[in-house]
Formats: sequence, structure tokens, C-alpha cells
Amino acid sequence: MKRWIYGLLGVGVLVFAGVLIQRALSDSLVYFILPSEYAADPGDYQDRRIRLGGIVSPGTVAFDDTELRLAFEVTDSLETYPVRHFGTPPELFQENTGVVIEGRFEDGVFVSDNLLVKHSEVYEAPKDGEPVDIEALKDTLQ
Amino acid sequence: MTGMGLGPLGNAALLLALAFSLWGVIGGAIGAIRRDARLLTSARMAAYATFLAMTAAVAVMEIALLTDDFSVSYVAETSRSTSPTWVKVVTLWAALEGSLVLWGWLLSGYWALLSFVAPNTPLRPWALTVMAGVQTFFVGVPAILTPPFQTVSPIPMDGPGPNPLLQNHWMMAVHPVLMYLGFVGLTVPFAYAMAALITRLPGSEWMTQTRRWTLIGWGFLTAAIIAGGWWSYEVLGWGGYWAWDPVENVSFLPWLTATAFIHGVQVQERRRMLKAWNLLLITLTFSLTLLGTFLTRSGVVSSVHAFGDGPVGPAFLVFFLIVMAFSLGLVAWRWDQVRDRADLDHPVSREGAILAGNVLLLAMTFAVLLGTIFPLIVEAFTGDKVTVGAPFFDQASLPLWMGVLFLMGVGPLLPWRRAPDQTLRSNLAWMLGAAAVGAAVAAAFGIRGVYPLLTIALSAWNLASLTLLILGAVVPRVRIGTRSVAQVLRSYAFENRRRFGSMIVHFGVVVLALGIMGSSAYRLDEQIRVDFGATTTFAGLELTAVDRFMERTDQRISAGAVVDVARNGTPLATLRPRINTFAGQQMTVPTPAVLYRPLYDIYLNVSSSIGPGQEFVVLRVVRSPLVTWIWVGGFIVALGTLYALTPNRRRVAVTSRAGPEEPVGT
Repeated sequence: MKRWIYGLLGVGVLVFAGVLIQRALSDSLVYFILPSEYAADPGDYQDRRIRLGGIVSPGTVAFDDTELRLAFEVTDSLETYPVRHFGTPPELFQENTGVVIEGRFEDGVFVSDNLLVKHSEVYEAPKDGEPVDIEALKDTLQ
Repeated sequence: MTGMGLGPLGNAALLLALAFSLWGVIGGAIGAIRRDARLLTSARMAAYATFLAMTAAVAVMEIALLTDDFSVSYVAETSRSTSPTWVKVVTLWAALEGSLVLWGWLLSGYWALLSFVAPNTPLRPWALTVMAGVQTFFVGVPAILTPPFQTVSPIPMDGPGPNPLLQNHWMMAVHPVLMYLGFVGLTVPFAYAMAALITRLPGSEWMTQTRRWTLIGWGFLTAAIIAGGWWSYEVLGWGGYWAWDPVENVSFLPWLTATAFIHGVQVQERRRMLKAWNLLLITLTFSLTLLGTFLTRSGVVSSVHAFGDGPVGPAFLVFFLIVMAFSLGLVAWRWDQVRDRADLDHPVSREGAILAGNVLLLAMTFAVLLGTIFPLIVEAFTGDKVTVGAPFFDQASLPLWMGVLFLMGVGPLLPWRRAPDQTLRSNLAWMLGAAAVGAAVAAAFGIRGVYPLLTIALSAWNLASLTLLILGAVVPRVRIGTRSVAQVLRSYAFENRRRFGSMIVHFGVVVLALGIMGSSAYRLDEQIRVDFGATTTFAGLELTAVDRFMERTDQRISAGAVVDVARNGTPLATLRPRINTFAGQQMTVPTPAVLYRPLYDIYLNVSSSIGPGQEFVVLRVVRSPLVTWIWVGGFIVALGTLYALTPNRRRVAVTSRAGPEEPVGT
């Protein structure tokens, strides 16, 4: 009899822990996507924290060294989105490098609080007219 | 070098160690089955021989590193001639191949030591055989899968040097060694657990014989985790110490199950309960060290620490599966002997509290493991690439930690078996009072968060509990005797080392909990631009960027800023955060400067370039309350563990009987 009670108590604790875990998990999953994946379904990522990968578009980088605000555009050569980041650019940040930024979209602008530079040694940007290998880009940035 | 080069020499040593450890398994197993004393002695000799061969392998590698012998592949890939001597020495564990050699060496040391000191009991032959089996794996991997002693041709002029993040701090010399000492230490109780199952002796003999080893393993693992946290705090530049990164998580998982095991052991010793549970916990602890190595060394989870992919991951996965199948199979086979026949008499008892704490620790293990491998599961099923953010781990583990802190306070005051009595009620009243006062004082100081308030209340609850425990032991002895309080306290502490040590550890955990609470809930973190010569304010402090500086050595170039930190015009310190560039490496390493203070740390890190023409510096400024308490708390925990481990001279004569019942709160 006692064993049953403790067994039930144990199951109860496990269920409670399970609920806590499930809730916390669904709240804090951060998807890693490319701009074209966002464009395909912006509603999916409404008010969600995401990690956005892509290449820094040439000629779009602007850094305000008084307010420490960095602006640039990120692209996977299918879609391009403007990015606002608070803070100094990392040392290896430059045009045409791969980046992963973490934050969320606000009115079509990606507001980032974490910027990582990825050296994509394997991935080469396609020449004009060639199709983009999105999967390869994603794998190198991940 | 003439004749045999260092590479072939090291290789030979590894292969010899492999042969010896294989003999340890085969000779040990046959000897144990046939009860052949000569074979068993021979298998024990294999432990010493393996240790000698592994020591030779390590010595050869160290000689190769110190003499810059770039014909050895590991040296060519990870060392550099201009590195200072200490960096060359620790380069042994700066990359995967070398660190596996270190792991195998430390394990062989434990195996040899165990062969030497283990009492001649029916458990010993099989325990040593299991140790030999584990050793065979940990020699086989470096000897065959990731050979570090390959000959390089043509011989390069110089190597790249170890990862700059590792060269940048002396803690790198300490943390990995502590971690491996913890991992291999916990292999010993695992080996004895398996021996207990094989020999049908699943009583508590196997745990009493390995009590020391368990504590040593746990102590090293604890110290390693704290040291790792301090390393990331000093090196990684974001002012934190724990990011729920997969590598951190997989070191935490075996710690959680080992902690549960240490407590579960006491229930089995006293009440002959939880036999299967304890076997499961130690199996889990050992397997989790393997699973963790698989996860972080195979590239299946991305991590800042990952050494990249290779054949090592799959090997660890296969070994993990073998260990799981072997040990769970043994438990199932011996189920009739390991299932409990005693029942819990009352849930409100010492064993009830320990059991509940075990469930909480295991739930936490599950949550952290799930969060760590969840990205793999999601990608396997949906193809989506996801990461599990730190908020998950916080949300899932914080409530469980509160439960653990609650039980940690009440558990030691509860008597074994018996239902609660009058003294317990008055003790609980004191503890509740302390918790209420603690929370009220914290609230008066403006603390509003639920978890911070709970943590402070539970810390007061625990401090009250520790006080009551000591009073309960000391007051009656003072009353009956003629000794003073100090004399009684001293003799109590000396005669009950295990118990007093556990009190020190629990006190350390309280200090740790407060440190984690303060530094995570009330941390301020900002990037600030300061013009050279100008002063800016941050959180009530004045920061003046006095000047920039540049230092150059053979090994590295440092460029940084000289920053005066003051409060209300009173200078506190001059900090020199910098950016280091190591010879042979392209990557630069921002190196923070920290002002350690008891109530809050000020942490400065340069987050802009610091070129000659630039008239300003951008600083990342972090103010972390109570973060120092974490390092102090960790130190206290290590000290308490050490205290519990020191031999208890007066009790030696009575080791055969169980320790006397502790008078609790009377």
C-alpha cells in the first residue's frame, strides 16, 4: 500500500517536472533561419526570438560610434532585411562575411542583441545567374 | 634526435599500455571466474604496468612539447616554439588527442592505486577487471583512433600554438585536470557497483569500500565545474560564468547524479534501501561522462568548446551504449537481489528527505539533458535548426533548486526512520522564523524578484538549520561535562569528520546559491564609449579612460586601455582591460580586467578596436553583485569535502560497526 502511495507521489513529481520542462522548452526554442525562410512565413516568427543567418550585404554597413549603433543589411541572396544592432561590430565583421544575429523582427527590421561572425571557408557566393545553394549556406553558418 | 624518434617511442608506450590493460581484463576475468590467485595477481600487476606505460607516453609527449619536436603530429598541430614553458606543459591537454592521453593516464593512475590499496575482498577481482575494461577503452582511443604520436614529414618549422583562449589564462592548467580527476574518480564506485552485481553481493559493502573514491571524484568534479566557471568569467569577456553551453551542461549532468548518489548511499547504509536505485545512479553518473564526451567531441551539438568532429564521437557513443547495456543488463539479471525489501517507514524522515532530494536532482538531470539534446531531436524530426536558450534551463532548474535548498535545510535535522517529534517542530519554527526574517530584510533592501527572495529566505533557513545542528550536538555535551564550548565544538568537529564535513559543504552551497542569485538577477551590463581623458558614469561609479597602452612580448602583443574606477571621487582601482594577439594565431582575444569586491565586481572588457589614431575606447562594463561568493562558496565546498575525507583516527577501532546514531536537535 505504502509503495503505491510513494509510487504515485513520485509520478506526481515527475509529471509536475514534465510540465515545467515542457513549458520552458516551448518558450525558449530559438529557430535558426535564413532571410528567405523568414520571408516565406513571417507569421511563424512573430514576436519570437530567432537566430538569423546570412551574408552582410556590401555597401550597407553603417556604424555610429557615438551612439554605438550598427546598421547593415543581411541577405541570403534571395531576400534581404535591414538589421539594427546595439554595440560595436566584432573585429572580423565586414562586408560579405557570414553572420548570425540573434534577436527579433520589429516592423520588418531585425533588432539584434547578439552578433556572431562566421567564417565560411567552405561556402562560396554564387556567381551572377547561378542558383543559390541555400542548404549549403545554412550549414556553413550554423 | 638519433635512433628511435619520440613519435614511435610514444606510440610504442601507448600500444604497450593497451596490451597491458587488455591483459587486465582477460586475466582478471578468467582469474575471477576460476578463483585463480596467481592470475589475479598477474592482472593486478597489469594495472601497474599500464600506469608505467601511460606515464611513459605522457613523459614522451611532454618531452616532445618542451623540446619543440615538430616531427610529432600533436606537437606540430598544437604547440609553438615561442610559447612560455607552462603553456607547453599544459598543451598536452589543449586539444583532443592529447587530452585523451591525459584522461587515460589519470585513469591508469587510479586503477594502479586501487590495485595497491583496495582491501582483498570478494569484490576486488571484478572491480579491478571492470577498471581494466574502462582503461582498455581509454587507451584504445588514443592508441588507435586519434594517435597523437604520428610522424610528420616534412617537419614543420613551427606550429600554430594552442587555442588563444586557452593560452590566455593559467586556469587552463588546472580546470581540465580537475575535470578528468573527477570523471575517473567516479569510475571506481562504478567498477565496484558492477563487481557487486557480478558477485551477487549487492549489499552496501561496495559503497563503503568506495566511499572515499566517490567523495574524491565528486570533490574534483565540483572543483572542476567551479574552476571552469571562473575561467569563462576571466577569459570569455561577457562577464558571466555559465551560459548553459552543451560542454558546461555535460559536465554538470554527472555532477547532479553523483550528488544524488552520495546522498542515496547513506540511505542504503542505514536502512538497506535504495539498492537498485544507487546502482542505477552510479551507472548513470559514469555513462553520462561518456555521453557528454560523445556529444561535445563529435560535432553533433554545436558548442563554443567543441573540438570538432572525428572518429572519437562514435567511439564514445558505442562505448556508452555498451556500458548502459552491460550495467542495466546486470541489474535486470540480479533483480531479485537488488530489489528493496524494506519500506519507507515515514515520509518525513531523513531517508524521505534524501529520496525527495534525489528525485529533484534526477529531474534536473533529465531537464538539462533534454535541453542539451533537444536541438538534435528537433532536427531529426523536422529538419529545423534550433537552439535551446538559457531561459529554458533557468526556468526548468530554478524551481527544482529551490526544492533542493529546502530539503538541504530540513533533511539533516530529521531523524532516520522515526516520525517527527517535538524538538523537530521547535527546530522548524526557528528555521521558518529565520527564513521570514531573511526575506523581510531582503525586501527592505529593495529586492523584489520571487526567486531572489526565495533564495535568500532558503539561505537563512539553511543557516538556521546548520546552527541548530551544531547546537544540538554541542549543548548536551557541554551540559554533562566540564569542558568548555570551544573544547566540545573542537572535539565534535574532529570526531565526526564526515558529518562536520557535510555541514561545511552545505554551508558552501548556501554561499554559492547566494552568489548565483546576486550575479544572475542583479547584473548590469552595458557598452559604453569613453573618450580618452574623459569620465563617464555607470551604476554610481566614475570610469575615466586615462590612456591606452601597448605591451609586446615574444609570445603576444597586448593593446588596451588604462581605466580609473572611482566612486564619489574616491579612487577604487586602475584597471587595464586589453586585447591580446598571440604569435602564430590570427584570432585576437579580448582580455577583461576585473575589480573583485565582496559585494559586487566591476568587470571591464574592450569591445572596440584600440588603434593609435582612435580617440575613444568602447568598454563593456558589467557590474555583477556577489559573483565572488561563487568562487568562495566553491572553495568552501572543496574544503568541506577534503575535511570529510581526512582520516578519522579515533574511529579506526570501530569501523566494523555503523557510526553511532547522531543525537539530533536534542
